Amino acid sequence: MDVTIKQIGAGEQEQVLICCREVTEEVQEIAFFVRSRQGRLSGVRDEKQYEIPVSELYYIESVDGQTFLYTKAQVYESSYRIYELESQLRAKHFLRVSKSTLLNLMKIRSIQPALNGRFTAVLHSGEKVIISRTYVKALKAALKGE
Amino acid sequence: MEFKRFLVNKLILFFMLSTMITVAVSLIGSAYDSGARFGYGTLLTPIKYAALCLLPTLVTWSKRELSAKELLIRKALMLLLLEAVILFIAFTSSVIDTESVRVVLDIAGSVLVIFVLANLFLWMKDSAEAKELNRDLETYQKHYE
Repeated sequence: MDVTIKQIGAGEQEQVLICCREVTEEVQEIAFFVRSRQGRLSGVRDEKQYEIPVSELYYIESVDGQTFLYTKAQVYESSYRIYELESQLRAKHFLRVSKSTLLNLMKIRSIQPALNGRFTAVLHSGEKVIISRTYVKALKAALKGE
Repeated sequence: MEFKRFLVNKLILFFMLSTMITVAVSLIGSAYDSGARFGYGTLLTPIKYAALCLLPTLVTWSKRELSAKELLIRKALMLLLLEAVILFIAFTSSVIDTESVRVVLDIAGSVLVIFVLANLFLWMKDSAEAKELNRDLETYQKHYE
């Protein structure tokens, strides 16, 4: 695939245009990368596609192989796998806190002990997300900026 | 990795149980039979008890993340199994007077107290850790706001 960068004038709309014969996984990855760099993710709700600002996401959860994006009041389905989102969203304050959950650290109100060495993250939305003890070490490191 | 961590936690619990059982046995022994003398083999009794008590704790193992309610149910089941194991040991032992209802109740009560204390200590450790996490979280969020 050729890559062409064209400089435009100040009044023109900046855009990334992908010309392809087929929308392959690779093309989707490029599109995803561009969107996430702009701080937005695509999600589907009621058969309509939305562009959701990453900063509005509270957490991302994988349930039975499907990925869901949670904002304060809505749930969107995403076509991306949680591991794909994990690497892309690390710089956007998202951290894996269990096998199936990525949590936005900026949306945590407090952390409480749960049973068996686990913790519960109480979010600003009032929702509670379990932090598995396997990921507590990574959480500590992330919060300390390591 | 998860199962390895589970086993490490069980090992920590094993040492905690050994210590607490030693204290419980010495207190009950002093109260009911303070003049008793034992051989060296008796020193292994708390270790054997702790190892046996560890077996019921395996019911808390799960591949997936258990909800708080599921975990509470499993903990209750674990306590019941612990009581059963300890009472089995007591009733099959020749030195424990299980004909005395008070002795049996004291043993069952000791198990309950040890179980509550062990979980309380773990909860206190987690609470201290949660406080530290909340402090770090506050600093992190202020930094990136």
